[in-house]
Amino acid sequence: MIGYIAGRSPLHRAHPYTTLALAGAVLFAAFAMTEPATVWLLVLAGAALAATGGVLRSSVRTALVLSLPIWALLFVLYGLLGAAPRVALGPVSFSAPGIARALVLGGRVTAIVLGFLTALATTSPHRLVEAMTARGVPFGRTFLLASTLTVLPRMRERAARILEAQQCRGLRLGGSVLARVRALGPLALPLILGALAEVDEQVLALDVRGAAAGGPRTALDPPPDSRPQRALRWGLLLLVAAAYAWKFRRMRG
Amino acid sequence: MTPRVSLAGVTFTYPGADRVALRGVSLEIAAGEIVVVAGAAGAGASTLLLVATGLAPRLVGGTLAGSRTIEARRCGIVFARPWTQLTGLCSTVADEVSFGPACAGRPRAEVTELAARAMQQLGIAHLALRDPAHLSGGELQRVVVAAALALQPELLALDDPAAELDPAAADALYRMLPPLAAAGLAILLATPDIERAARVATRALVLEEGALVADGPPAVVLPATEVGVLARAAGCPAPYPLDVPALLARIAR
Repeated sequence: MIGYIAGRSPLHRAHPYTTLALAGAVLFAAFAMTEPATVWLLVLAGAALAATGGVLRSSVRTALVLSLPIWALLFVLYGLLGAAPRVALGPVSFSAPGIARALVLGGRVTAIVLGFLTALATTSPHRLVEAMTARGVPFGRTFLLASTLTVLPRMRERAARILEAQQCRGLRLGGSVLARVRALGPLALPLILGALAEVDEQVLALDVRGAAAGGPRTALDPPPDSRPQRALRWGLLLLVAAAYAWKFRRMRG
Repeated sequence: MTPRVSLAGVTFTYPGADRVALRGVSLEIAAGEIVVVAGAAGAGASTLLLVATGLAPRLVGGTLAGSRTIEARRCGIVFARPWTQLTGLCSTVADEVSFGPACAGRPRAEVTELAARAMQQLGIAHLALRDPAHLSGGELQRVVVAAALALQPELLALDDPAAELDPAAADALYRMLPPLAAAGLAILLATPDIERAARVATRALVLEEGALVADGPPAVVLPATEVGVLARAAGCPAPYPLDVPALLARIAR
């Protein structure tokens, strides 16, 4: 599940900037961490964030689905084909530094994906628009960010409709891999062409409704911000800066 | 009456098209008029709406020759497919209807009042707190029309607005137009549903291959449509009936 899930958790109630700042902090911190243990602590922090948002199960499941192919690739590249010293496990030998490297890289990917899935699941696009509008961000940028958050759920709904329609017309999805690949055409083409046609109409409709007017837009229901939340965002920024300072100090040392 | 839009010898060609979509069209649409645009598919009715509202060629692209003056300070347009006209960023119908006035930077209280009035006009006040994503096609179309009205347009273009509506909802939508026109709104309506449109229209245009071939009162102009042709073939004297029940009643007499 990728996209907003309505709820009343602390993350749902938080200012959207706070939720995005948490996801952003996980992203930057992931690249500052160089040891498997610290990276996987960050994964645990991402999971704790998802649990706070009440989206632990869906976020972890989707993060695993998205990360597993990358883990497999990292395991082959670094674990099997990596440099010595190697550790024998039955008939197969693994590269010890390669496994450590794969754990760091795989952990980073998992932490980042988990952080952003949690942010997507707990940040209402509408509240984000209102928050950005209240801060005077031009609507073009607001729309770009908010529609990025909503594009996947919308595409999924559209794909489901097209799938049902094509199945009614006799499209068969089972069978061999080749048959499944062939079935992709009747699904992907209407999905892409339909989306493009609808975007045309949406651009016209939004323009007429003043979306491109450029002037200041009225925020109707801006989400409340608070001093503790602002402090948390600054704190996250300082924490990330400290993590990078520590990383560079270690690299020089 | 003040013209809301004037076209003089307007010819429009879509980008990359090898034939013109509108050919030498001259007309004026005044405040208070409900002008129905009839014609076969591809005759140029939808294009006329885009040109009259200023969307073509500004956003659509293409080339426009001739003279066009849009006096209306604000134009609204409604397309056949309501889901393409939603912002996708609003979690309630009230927010969706408020979007346009909010983009215009109107004060919050005024935006709320405009949206409430528009929803009242369309009979969707009870849907104000519903999620637009969970509405039926008919309800959604009324939301889209309300969103257009909330902008207080002086010219409203409706492109087959009842395409997604059941007969009762279509009747209700058309019944709503005369009071709006009486309040000074100029309405340009392109639809294949000539029977319903003829009941509310004050004027009719007939397009053939992009050229304006008839312009006048619906009772005079619309016999050029299918019902009129049937009435002539059945030997009915002019003025011809505008819809099938009226034609049957006339023949029965």
